[in-house]
Amino acid sequence: MTLREVSKSFGGLLAVNNANLSVKKGELRALIGPNGAGKTTLLNLITGIYPVSQGQIHFKSREITRLSPDRISHQGISRTMQITSLFSGLTVFENIWVAVQSRKKFFNPFIRAIKWQEVRAKTNQMLELTGLQDKAELICSELAYGEQRILEMGIALSTDPDLLLLDEPTAGLNTQESIALVKKMRAMLSGQTIILVEHDMGVVMELADRISVLHYGEILAEGSPEEIRNNEEVKKVYLGY
Amino acid sequence: MSSHPQKSTGFILGFSLVFMVLIAVPFFMDLFYQTFLTEVLVWVLFAVSFDLIFGYTGLLSFGQALFFGLGAYSIAIPVSKFGLGLGPAFLLAIIIPMLFAWLVGYFSVKLSGIHFVIITLIFALIGSTIGETWTSLTGGADGLTIPFTPLQIGPLKIDFTNIKTNYYLVLVVASLCFLLLKRMVQSPLGKVFIAIRENEDRARLIGYNVQRYKLLAFVIAGGLSGVAGGLYGITLKYASANSLHWGVSGHAVVYTIVGGMGTLFGPVLGTGIIMSLEHYLLNYMQGTDLVIGMVLVFMVLVAPKGLVGLLQRKGK
Repeated sequence: MTLREVSKSFGGLLAVNNANLSVKKGELRALIGPNGAGKTTLLNLITGIYPVSQGQIHFKSREITRLSPDRISHQGISRTMQITSLFSGLTVFENIWVAVQSRKKFFNPFIRAIKWQEVRAKTNQMLELTGLQDKAELICSELAYGEQRILEMGIALSTDPDLLLLDEPTAGLNTQESIALVKKMRAMLSGQTIILVEHDMGVVMELADRISVLHYGEILAEGSPEEIRNNEEVKKVYLGY
Repeated sequence: MSSHPQKSTGFILGFSLVFMVLIAVPFFMDLFYQTFLTEVLVWVLFAVSFDLIFGYTGLLSFGQALFFGLGAYSIAIPVSKFGLGLGPAFLLAIIIPMLFAWLVGYFSVKLSGIHFVIITLIFALIGSTIGETWTSLTGGADGLTIPFTPLQIGPLKIDFTNIKTNYYLVLVVASLCFLLLKRMVQSPLGKVFIAIRENEDRARLIGYNVQRYKLLAFVIAGGLSGVAGGLYGITLKYASANSLHWGVSGHAVVYTIVGGMGTLFGPVLGTGIIMSLEHYLLNYMQGTDLVIGMVLVFMVLVAPKGLVGLLQRKGK
């Protein structure tokens, strides 16, 4: 994934300014920065939710700058949202099902969906991965918050992404819940490239291969967790020491 | 969405029972009630077609009257002005509304929320205005009478001016359409519609071309509305610009909300109950709309998921 001089403005507000980012295959890149730095905006640009004002985005050697979100998904990019985004009136099983089904090119409108063995098998497999198989028939709004975050990740993984964007997965969780979620996340992932937006520095330092720091829409610094920890400018602007 | 064989068996038994009872109706009900039931079945079909886009896909459209009216006129104009047979005319009652639904939907589904509602209302207004003013084609508010000659299929002659024959035509067509819709909403395609209703943005992010699926739902519903309109024209032997009025869409909205949206059974129940109530009230008052409006408000406040939702809650 490469971002070249990507900018995004909303009227007079420059939310992302000339961002250059390059994420290698298999890497876990953390994006950190104060609130309003442009982290979620950057993810929204990558996933096509916002159109880019300037610059280019490339993924697997293909330019995806102007693609719609659904087409970007089919390129192999999936994400979770800052505020949990599920199919709230559907069961846990149905939430996963719909994501698994999205990879199929053709739907037969005259068969009952439950008879589709291939999708059913993959859905059950993904349910086991999330550990929510015992809650498959619950409406997802009945799940605990942490379980909803896991389910959202399960939905994202059910589309077989090569690149997974995680937007503050531990937001709203206490320390214990965050640790449990991170453990669960590690168990669910299998070699995907990840861009992680996170405020919890404990999670970031533990998981990230490299860290990019955003400040007022610009990439302030980039490096290994140790390099970022020791970067004076980052300390001043974000880490607060 | 785990497999519930008991539910499927229950549905098959229930549907078969109701169908058998409805087949027997002409043997124990007089012609007046046969005609009334025929009209109920037409409106049931219209309401379930509306449920597909509103209850299952989350699109509140006031434009369905346009396709309903086009269905009626797709039979009235070719038969009365060009002498076309009923069979080919009935096919037109499916095709022409679907084509218009594609055209209207192409522009409408680019919008969402209140903007979508308004644009569908505007299309319905345009349709009813054209219907009222292009009197040489449509007969305006006076409408067109549909002269029927018996339909010849081999040695069989089917006379749709006969109330009983007309009733069975509407019963069979409405039942087939209902079964088709039931299968569709349970299919993988139906799951996409429901996902769009639940969370359009999430559906888009996992790879569904939401606009394309919305348009598909709109076209299918438009076609079924056209079938309902065609059956309406056949039943009344008449089509008028009043069928194009957006208020006709309002009927489907009321029936679906009262009965329970996103259930298919809800619109069936809602149509039967509301139309029966209107029929009963007409013995005592002229303006039934006030009472029906009060029923709607009551249902929205007390049972927002409609009668089906209420029954499901009691069942639990």
